[in-house]
Amino acid sequence: MKRIDFVMVLRIALGGVFIYAAIPKIVDPVAFAGSVAAYRILPYFWNYVAAAVLPFLELICGVLLVLGIRVRTGALIIGALNLVFMVALASAIVRGLDIDCGCFRQGGEKTTPWIALARDAVFLAMTAAVLRYERIRAAQRF
Amino acid sequence: MTRMRSIHPLSEIALVVFLATLLGVAWNKTLLTDAWRGGTSQAAVVAQAAQAAEAVPMPVGLAQAKELHDSGQAVLVDARSADSFTKEHIAGALSLPLAAASGKKPPLPKSVTPDTIIIAYCNGFSCHDSMELGKLLIKAGYRQVFVFEGGLPEWRDAGYPTAGGAS
Repeated sequence: MKRIDFVMVLRIALGGVFIYAAIPKIVDPVAFAGSVAAYRILPYFWNYVAAAVLPFLELICGVLLVLGIRVRTGALIIGALNLVFMVALASAIVRGLDIDCGCFRQGGEKTTPWIALARDAVFLAMTAAVLRYERIRAAQRF
Repeated sequence: MTRMRSIHPLSEIALVVFLATLLGVAWNKTLLTDAWRGGTSQAAVVAQAAQAAEAVPMPVGLAQAKELHDSGQAVLVDARSADSFTKEHIAGALSLPLAAASGKKPPLPKSVTPDTIIIAYCNGFSCHDSMELGKLLIKAGYRQVFVFEGGLPEWRDAGYPTAGGAS
């Protein structure tokens, strides 16, 4: 079935994106903490906690999606993360902060909040498609 | 398709979040301990700053610090000791050890006016002297003070030029 293939590709792509996003942050948590701090949302210490935990959450959920295990759980968390990221980016735009989104590789070329926001909207749509298909599949089992 | 026994979706989510937290904290134990030590005093400072409104310098990242420095728009100020400065510092930076800046007027050259963009740095995220120096400079009347928290380590790791007699 074409539709199944398409959703599978979406699922693996989405998982891959999150694994790809997680690795540089795990390797360089200090740089990521700097990126988080640049949003000026969290108090000092919590920037580090976020920088320590978020990448592993992205990694685990990415792996779940790629392998097709516990897809709903992985997709729900990824969807929630995406929403949080979008709120943070929107708040950066509203406050006129000229910062790098810190989404993928830390440092290097700057990705503006607007572009990151648009990208996250695409990821959110992908997540919704994966979740929708999961629900249909779960219903078909019975 | 393998069918696995399903547990409550919320428990599953909680489990994944818990696992990520565990891994993240274990992986970054040293970093978090350092941040916590520096963080307790910093938290009090943040609370004070909320009252004193905007007395805390804004952070800038590596790319921005480099851009402002290269274009000559900003002056980089090294908050570490004069000794450390002599050994190695960001090329083109001025030395202004935190201890020396505690007096009434920080000893900066005349070319640095209250409207000059000043970027303070020290030894990276675990070092808080740059933040302290930034606050002193704001108190002293400088209006555009920033802190480059990555400091010398991040600058050096990026392969950007440093100067000094380290060998």
